[in-house]
Amino acid sequence: MDFDPTPYNIGLGLKNWLSLVGIIAGLGILLGLVGSFASAGGGGGGLFSNGISSFFKELASISPRRVWALASLTLKEAWRRKALLVFVVFAVLLMFAGWFLTDSNDRSDLQINVHITFMLTTISWLILPVVMFLSCWGIPEDIRIRSLHTVVTKPARRVEVVLGRMLGFSIMSTVILLLMGTVGYIWIERQAPKDLDQGKFLTCRVPVYGGLFFLDRQGMPTSQGLNVGDPWLYRSFVEGNSRCRAVWMFNEVTPEKLGNELRLESRFEAFRTIKGSADTIQQGLEAQYTLVKNMREEAFSSFGVGAGLREVAEALRAGDFQSAAELLDAAAERMQSSPADFPQVDCQQVAISCAVQVVPVLRNFKDADLGDVADAFLVFGDAANSVKTGDAASYSELSRACASLAETVRKRADDMFESMPKLEVPLEPFRVSEYHEGDDFITYPRKLKYVADYEGTARFLAKVVSGISEAGKLADGGELSSGLVDELSENHGVSPVNAELVFDVVKSEIDAGTLKVDGNKVEIADGSSWLRLFDRLVREEKLISRDTAGWEMEADIFDDLTVNDYLRVEVACLNDQMFIGMARADLFLRLPDRSFLAGFSKALLNIGLMLSLVIVLGVTASCVVKGPVSFFFTLTIFVIGQFFHQLMLKIVAGSQEGGGMVESAMLIFQHRNPSVGIDANEGTEAVVKGLDWGVNGILKIASNIIPDFSTFSEASAYIENGFDVPWSTSVLPAIMTFVGFLIPCVIIGAACLKFRELEAK
Amino acid sequence: MSTQENVIEIRNLSKVYRDFWGRKKVQAVKSLSLDVKKGEVFGLLGPNGSGKTTTIKMLLGLLFPTSGEIKILGKRASDVAKNERIGYLPEESYLYRFLNADETLDFYGRLFNISAAERNQRADELIKMVGLDHARRRQLKEYSKGMTRRIGLAQALINNPELVLLDEPTSGLDPIGTREMKDLILKLKDEGKTVVLCSHQLADVQDVSDRIAMLYQGELKVLGGVDELLELRGETQIRTGNLSDEGVEELKALLAKHGMKDSLIQKPRADLEELFLRTVRESGERPGRRFTAEEMAATQPADTGKSGDAS
Repeated sequence: MDFDPTPYNIGLGLKNWLSLVGIIAGLGILLGLVGSFASAGGGGGGLFSNGISSFFKELASISPRRVWALASLTLKEAWRRKALLVFVVFAVLLMFAGWFLTDSNDRSDLQINVHITFMLTTISWLILPVVMFLSCWGIPEDIRIRSLHTVVTKPARRVEVVLGRMLGFSIMSTVILLLMGTVGYIWIERQAPKDLDQGKFLTCRVPVYGGLFFLDRQGMPTSQGLNVGDPWLYRSFVEGNSRCRAVWMFNEVTPEKLGNELRLESRFEAFRTIKGSADTIQQGLEAQYTLVKNMREEAFSSFGVGAGLREVAEALRAGDFQSAAELLDAAAERMQSSPADFPQVDCQQVAISCAVQVVPVLRNFKDADLGDVADAFLVFGDAANSVKTGDAASYSELSRACASLAETVRKRADDMFESMPKLEVPLEPFRVSEYHEGDDFITYPRKLKYVADYEGTARFLAKVVSGISEAGKLADGGELSSGLVDELSENHGVSPVNAELVFDVVKSEIDAGTLKVDGNKVEIADGSSWLRLFDRLVREEKLISRDTAGWEMEADIFDDLTVNDYLRVEVACLNDQMFIGMARADLFLRLPDRSFLAGFSKALLNIGLMLSLVIVLGVTASCVVKGPVSFFFTLTIFVIGQFFHQLMLKIVAGSQEGGGMVESAMLIFQHRNPSVGIDANEGTEAVVKGLDWGVNGILKIASNIIPDFSTFSEASAYIENGFDVPWSTSVLPAIMTFVGFLIPCVIIGAACLKFRELEAK
Repeated sequence: MSTQENVIEIRNLSKVYRDFWGRKKVQAVKSLSLDVKKGEVFGLLGPNGSGKTTTIKMLLGLLFPTSGEIKILGKRASDVAKNERIGYLPEESYLYRFLNADETLDFYGRLFNISAAERNQRADELIKMVGLDHARRRQLKEYSKGMTRRIGLAQALINNPELVLLDEPTSGLDPIGTREMKDLILKLKDEGKTVVLCSHQLADVQDVSDRIAMLYQGELKVLGGVDELLELRGETQIRTGNLSDEGVEELKALLAKHGMKDSLIQKPRADLEELFLRTVRESGERPGRRFTAEEMAATQPADTGKSGDAS
């Protein structure tokens, strides 16, 4: 099972398929031509063209009626030869399996997993040998006893014989599969522990995985978290009580997809650096989700990785755009005076960041037109891209662009701050057990109550107070309206004590002359924004909550926390000196569950496709060679495809540790670890690499023409682990793999049967 | 004779069997050229290994000629479309033994463009025609060899073919079955169909064939009409009723007068096939009875075509 699924790319798959089929067809034509000339001498060309044209004529004149007649014959044959007796074996296994598979010491969900695994494995492995034997022996046996002669001397085309056999055996295996699947489903339901709510376990979770990156101890983005010394690098860790975070970005977070709630399921790894007591170990570590909408992070998370612009980047991300402008000015000066602070490699990264992240995000802003800021970043990025070490002119250009950027940022600082909010909604902390007992599954309602931070408070109050002011309710007769307290507490959810606090602070600002009252209108004296005013007030700690609960507010997950349907979830470890390990698949959004029956059916569909592909391969092989050879050929293909296909791909891609076949053999002989490589001089190493290059070439061909049978068994792994079988990552690839092999196999099988003398002595 | 009247045209047909490495093992057919005309019964004769079956299989596209050309019903042998108008009874009835007679004919019928109603009707007629009505629901694995030949013949006729190829049609049949098979071949001829049969049962071929070709070690040795080939031009045959001893002596004297001194005059004899057929017929009419030689001789039909010759 792939916990990091990537949807199947039909376009790419089709392109690969076409190129592969093209190569095979080309080789087939070449082989046919050679054979024709070898057998007919000068007339080989005519013989070949006649053969090809008659073959395609046959392909074009396939009759479903005849194919069905041959398929029915195959079905009757299988039925009368008692192929369904395999069901008896299945029934006997089921009768006694419960005795050995049920363990009262096991957790209930694990027991159910064992039952599902047993059922799907039994079904696959019982039917597989039956279909392999029948499909490999069908046509050779027909040829041996010459019953095929009476068929092909009728108008039945050879391609119809091949198709009929494939269809017949596939229907037979499907019937057995459906029978076993139905009985198996009932059996699983009956085996499920009676003291549990079956629905809780016999269900199909539908995960939505997000992208994962980390924030390091300084809060800077990084692709990996900390390594706690575990040689298995699957999980990266975040340190407790620090700025370390694991950040997931989930796409398509909409109420239509999720319903009116957010369901987060996780399975993190707890790592302790101090032992703790039995109680604390039992309790596990404390983790916390924070839902974050941070437009500054969206725009500037990758900006200023190098030391020269780090402070600028931090100011941009903090929303302190005036400071950022000043720091940019300072940086512009340093670019002239000490260009070594801005090495070429850092400048390149800045250029990439501007082109890929900053400019597109700023251009796509809906709330405000920040096009001029985007342009300034674009110019700065271009200048950074042109920087060359030791080239003073390029640094001068960069400095000018930087100064210009500083000017633009300074000019638009208020607009940028207003339109690039940061909203953080920390959720209730939860425990991560050191001894996993199922996954942590928490459901959150759409509307979340949370305690706002400084910025959240400032934005909330600026929005509310400016609204009240626009409505003409803030002032009354040149005085601050006494109704403000009631308005805030009754209509905007502010607690009465905090409403009084706001009243007092606004009144003191009027007294100080920061705010001007004109009739029932209140305006800011220096013409700046309400947000800027409240931001200052919050930073001056004039608005510290008088309510012990703090500034409690409400946020809508979908309306307030998503950006273009993306939701950012940050995970922190709250315990000092402790670590929580995470990998991409460890946290997912859980969509509304689907029925177990639907998932089980999809797993059966994949098994059915696998059996049909075995049939297709068996029948194709049997058109060329006799039954036993065909059987061993098909078995070999299946074993390689099921167990070694991924290994082949890894070796071909060079990602398998230990190198190629020859290198691995040498490592074994030399008793050396794969990570240190072989002990050989350059010449020997070159020979080994050369030999491996050749072997890898063969493996590459094999990996392309041998089907990856693990594609089919993946579906079973999903259902065994309680997940729904995803259509685009499991079912669709299985269907495409089957069809991709079916078409060339039918053509190859039919051609081999057509150009073969059935009576050859 | 125009090309349209030839159902089969074979020109310089050769077949060489080779081993896995392409080395020549045996040449089964050597430069064979012959035509089969529409509406005739054509016999292909020869001892075992003479190339008869190889020729038939090349006609059907089961084997590919090494050289030469075949036209069958105006199409190439490799053209599957020709099979719409052909019926083929193989040397052994290579049928699916797990099917019963009805299913067998239904299966083969489905391979043709025949409607279900017509298929069922034809299957019923053919099963009755070959005398398997009583066993139509039994699987073929329970059939005797003769029954298997009969259902094999029925499947060959399911599409009402214009050309019927019969490979050893009487092989494995008892004399009654053999006679019925021969009658059927003549019936097919009467219906205007062309029949090609290949056999080494010479008497059977002689009884039904219009023309024969005789192969030996892959080569065509004899080709022509049966009457023409079997006519004994240096002899005369006289057939009459039962003649007294005096009559025989007078006849001998008369023949001697014409210079025929070594004439053979004797009582004619039925052949074993006739005797067998009569025994079976009589046994059916009078069960539990055993017949003496005199009784059988007394029931010898006067007009039998199998009487002994006076030569």
